[in-house]
Amino acid sequence: MNLIALAARNVNRNRHRSLVTIGAMTFAGMIMILYASLMEGLFLSTERNALAMNIGELQIHVKGYRDDPDLYTKIEGSEKIISKLAANGMTASPRLFGFALAAAGISSAGVQLRGINLELESKVTRIHEHVYKGEWLNRVDMKGVVLGRKLARTLSVNVGDELVIVGQAADGSMANDLFQVKGILKGVGEEIDRGGFYMLDTSFRELMGLTNGIHEIVIVRDDKTVEIEQVTDKLSAIFPHYEVLNWRKLQPLIAEILDLSDINIYIMLFITYIAVAMVVLNAMLMSVFERIREFGVMRAIGVGPWQLFSLIYTETLIQVCIAVVLAFIFGLPLAWYFQLNGIDLTQFISGMSFGGIAFDPIWRAELTQRSVMAPLVTLVLIALVAVLYPAIKAAVIQPVKAIHYR
Amino acid sequence: MAGEVHTNNPAIKDIVRLESVSKVYQQGQLEVRAVDNVSLEIDTGDFCALCGPSGSGKTTVLNMIGGLDVPSSGQVWLENHNLARLSRSELASIRRDRIGFVFQAYNLIPVMTAYENAEFVLRLQGVPESECHEQVMMILDEVGLKGMEHRRPDEMSGGQQQRVAIARAIVTRPAIVLADEPTANVDSATADALLDLMQKLNQEDGVSFLFSTHDQRVMDRARRLIRLRDGRIESDEARR
Ligand SMILES: Nc1ncnc2c1ncn2[C@@H]1O[C@H](COP(=O)(O)OP(=O)(O)OP(=O)(O)O)[C@@H](O)[C@H]1O
Ligand SMILES: [Mg+2]
Repeated sequence: MNLIALAARNVNRNRHRSLVTIGAMTFAGMIMILYASLMEGLFLSTERNALAMNIGELQIHVKGYRDDPDLYTKIEGSEKIISKLAANGMTASPRLFGFALAAAGISSAGVQLRGINLELESKVTRIHEHVYKGEWLNRVDMKGVVLGRKLARTLSVNVGDELVIVGQAADGSMANDLFQVKGILKGVGEEIDRGGFYMLDTSFRELMGLTNGIHEIVIVRDDKTVEIEQVTDKLSAIFPHYEVLNWRKLQPLIAEILDLSDINIYIMLFITYIAVAMVVLNAMLMSVFERIREFGVMRAIGVGPWQLFSLIYTETLIQVCIAVVLAFIFGLPLAWYFQLNGIDLTQFISGMSFGGIAFDPIWRAELTQRSVMAPLVTLVLIALVAVLYPAIKAAVIQPVKAIHYR
Repeated sequence: MAGEVHTNNPAIKDIVRLESVSKVYQQGQLEVRAVDNVSLEIDTGDFCALCGPSGSGKTTVLNMIGGLDVPSSGQVWLENHNLARLSRSELASIRRDRIGFVFQAYNLIPVMTAYENAEFVLRLQGVPESECHEQVMMILDEVGLKGMEHRRPDEMSGGQQQRVAIARAIVTRPAIVLADEPTANVDSATADALLDLMQKLNQEDGVSFLFSTHDQRVMDRARRLIRLRDGRIESDEARR
């Protein structure tokens, strides 16, 4: 009879205790898979929202534009740049920005005019899918605009209402025109919610008297497996006269929160698993102490200390392996359920945003390799650490004392 | 531990030799001399009993011979080994390869069958399963457990369990079997049967035995009877 078979029988011997131990480990593993998946989901959706609504993955500006967004600080020849980007496996869209005053009835507000290229913008962001009321821009309604949610409230406008825009055109003259609200956006992030004012690039040029040049190029990678930092370096080399930044630099806060999410998951794992460690420690200590005599006899007839140590470890490994398999079997569908259905938080929060980033009111889990592996691997490690003391206890038993132990 | 070093060498007359062995236990403030300056030799092939009142030091002597306990002074020799010179793991190997232990009770590993218990030490020695089989079946037959190979300890009587322990002790062909009150927990008929068995193994297979006992029947059958009192040898008589 080998060690593994003996260990298996010992696990089976006190079946209730083993079941409780395995159950506790399974439960913790399962919950942690769910938790890790929910956290992944939260942060992925945050990332997606922030990146997919507005920022994209990389942006190109004229150096200094971000500090002082001036109407005249323009990128010229953007078509060439965009086709060069396309040749490098990237999709890009040009944007125009300007500041103006919007007025409707007795309300008015400062707005950030966003002149977008309708076709290209939809390839780099998903803002067009986030219309709450009315519809997105189209080529036919030249005077149609889409507003951020809070801005619409400030201006007390609804879909179909008219707006007056007043600003300073490129030539210094007064720019003003009448626009019609085509759509109002969902909450997508503080910046856009409060000041987002989307219009066609052609309308923007007409209003502001800007014949050529753009202010920003938004870029996404076609192949997401390419390292973003690598891409940034490459593009910086291709366009040395412009400022090329990736989203980590553009939104350092988001990048930091996402980095913290890793730590967050591990801290939570650690805390939950301390309880598991206690259960394992307690169970294995009990099982060692009630077998002191047996171990004494085993030592007396020639079993070495390391063999007893391995026996205790093998018994624990058997239990933790069963728990890992069960946690996988039950945890995966559990997390999957929450990935499909999510947790509806609309009752508690609506249009919640944090640091200018929008959160989805439906909190969905996101099963990733890490959200499954991290809880399971940590579970095994914790159990192996917890059983160290009982295993040493068994290994250092003195046969004489153990045999006469009561 | 290499097997060939420990063959039952008839050239070694004494399997066990104790030279002025003492064992002192500290019981709180009190010093207890469990074994007090005992010198003793045990011949190959002997069937020897240690007797004496409770607390006279029988178990302590057996434990020191088996390398389970260390003398406070004096030396214990087993075959050619001075046990004090051996490391823990070397002692474990000596116990595994050269000594058969039979304790008063609870000798067996509860989750193993009679067969697996009897086979256990052989497997520890690294004997392949296929080679074990024949030997184990033969020994179990010899100790009268034919047909009970698949019973777990809790499915056997105390006497049957002791038989398994004896089978386990002798299946490895040890230099000596150390048995600490092997008959104390069984009824007298069973005790007689166990003694018959051990006597037979001694006479037919030449296995050396050293018992500790209170049991008059064991003493009656012993070829040599050593009486201990207060840790000292009170008398040492050869019989028959
Ligand atoms: N671990 C120990 N610590 C302290 N004292 C001990 C220890 N083991 C044995 N003793 C003492 O040593 C003496 C001899 O004990 P031992 O067990 O060898 O006697 P024994 O002859 O086997 O007795 P019994 O017939 O009751 O089994 C006793 O006085 C006992 O109390
Ligand atoms: Mg005793």
